[in-house]
Amino acid sequence: MAGASTIRLESQRPRKATSDPLAIKMVLTTVTFLFFALFLFLPLVVVFQEAFEKGVGVFLATFRDPFTLHAIGLTLLIAGIAVPMNTAFGLAAAWSVTRYRFPGRSFLITLIDLPLWVSPVIGGLIYVLVFGAQGWLGPWLREHDIRIIFAVPGMVLATLFVTFPFVARGLIPLMQAQGMKEEEAALTLGANGWQIFWRITLPKIKWGLLYGVILCNARAMGEFGAVSVVSGHIRGQTNTMPLHIEILYNEYQVAAAFAVASLLALLALLTLLIKSYAEWRAEQQLKNIP
Amino acid sequence: MSIRIETVTKHFGRYPALNNVSTEIESGELIALLGPSGSGKTTLLRVIAGLEFPDSADGRVFFGDREVTNLSAYKRRAGFVFQHYALFNHMNVFENIAFALRVLPRSKRPPESAIRDRVETLLGAVQLDGYERRLPSQLSGGQRQRVAFARALAIEPEVLLLDEPFGALDAKVRKELRRWLRDFHQRLGLTTIFVTHDQEEAFEVADRVVLIDKGTIQQTGTPAEVRQSPANTFVTEFLDLTPEAVTRG
Repeated sequence: MAGASTIRLESQRPRKATSDPLAIKMVLTTVTFLFFALFLFLPLVVVFQEAFEKGVGVFLATFRDPFTLHAIGLTLLIAGIAVPMNTAFGLAAAWSVTRYRFPGRSFLITLIDLPLWVSPVIGGLIYVLVFGAQGWLGPWLREHDIRIIFAVPGMVLATLFVTFPFVARGLIPLMQAQGMKEEEAALTLGANGWQIFWRITLPKIKWGLLYGVILCNARAMGEFGAVSVVSGHIRGQTNTMPLHIEILYNEYQVAAAFAVASLLALLALLTLLIKSYAEWRAEQQLKNIP
Repeated sequence: MSIRIETVTKHFGRYPALNNVSTEIESGELIALLGPSGSGKTTLLRVIAGLEFPDSADGRVFFGDREVTNLSAYKRRAGFVFQHYALFNHMNVFENIAFALRVLPRSKRPPESAIRDRVETLLGAVQLDGYERRLPSQLSGGQRQRVAFARALAIEPEVLLLDEPFGALDAKVRKELRRWLRDFHQRLGLTTIFVTHDQEEAFEVADRVVLIDKGTIQQTGTPAEVRQSPANTFVTEFLDLTPEAVTRG
């Protein structure tokens, strides 16, 4: 008894072995907040401030400019093609690496991440090397009058490359954690593969899937490097929003550049919101596994 | 329906889960597959269900006279109750049980009113009337277990396969459910096979016990037969039938 009370006296509050002293906690938290304010929050404020600096009129006029409208339309088109395709690819990839055992499986998992650690410029360049005028397929494409580089198809390909990992990466850990007992149960109840996917697997992974799709979309709309390499920057033809922002800025149309940028920033904020919600729902769903 | 298994071998990678297993189960029997963990008993159950397939063409599975070796689980239609129930967590109890009817091809799918009647009947059979709208996460372990039973019975199986049916429940509920399973089996008259590592459970419930170790069947017989004349040292030791233990007991 005496021993127990001595121990309690020695440490007034229960303290975990892994917890740090208060000073270190405060320093680390402050550094994190300062960094966040300086490098993330402040630039975001500047974007909106610059966009409206010359008044709402200039801001709105930017969005009446045909080149701006075309850039927005092209961004939507490219994302509209790339995101559904990568949703399908991502689902297929996540399905095969979590459901099957085959030689080269872990290599495939590594390969899915490749676009994340390769510079986006390389992502664009590989398509120039393959489809460009001097590339492997260049002569053949020219003979058949097919344009891929410096045209929309090349930009879609480059976007597909850089956005490939997002859906698959969102799904693989989720599907691994969930296992496939429910799918097996559905199988013994007479459901075929299609029914199992739509009625069992999809409801199980829908929030994880939304999370991946939303990140994929944000990257598809915001991608600069890879698309820039294959675009050719033809105004009104191969200019997406990020590329258009650069052109406007280089032409000293600062307010217009920031107006378009503010649209992308809004997209980012919206993405963040949906992403957090989807993340939270996906966690709830995992907790619901009894 | 009787079940026959002929020379089934199954490896996972290099690990042999089943080694040349043959056995026969008569129609309407209640059989326990009994063995330590990793013995291959669950693999054998999954081979019967069509969730795993034998390694080579020598291994064959028959339901009655019909060979089902190459039929996928969804065509084999054996009722299967999973160890942790594998209920569909995003569906309520009603939809869980109705699932098998809803996935039938349109030509065979009963009308909504018939589905409702069938689910009500099944819920009554497992004493869960009034639980239709509950989600699996709102049920106790024993209730989930019974929903899993009702769901498996919805396909009107002739064979019922249970993987450690009471494994995840506490001791008191286990004892109750043993008796319940025995009664249930007698009422339905289905061929029922259940996997367990608990010899007391196997001996109390089953008509016959199949003892498995290291992927091989060590002995098959009624509880009395096995107890009176254990076939080898594994059976003796696993059932704790050594002379010292018997005199102690």
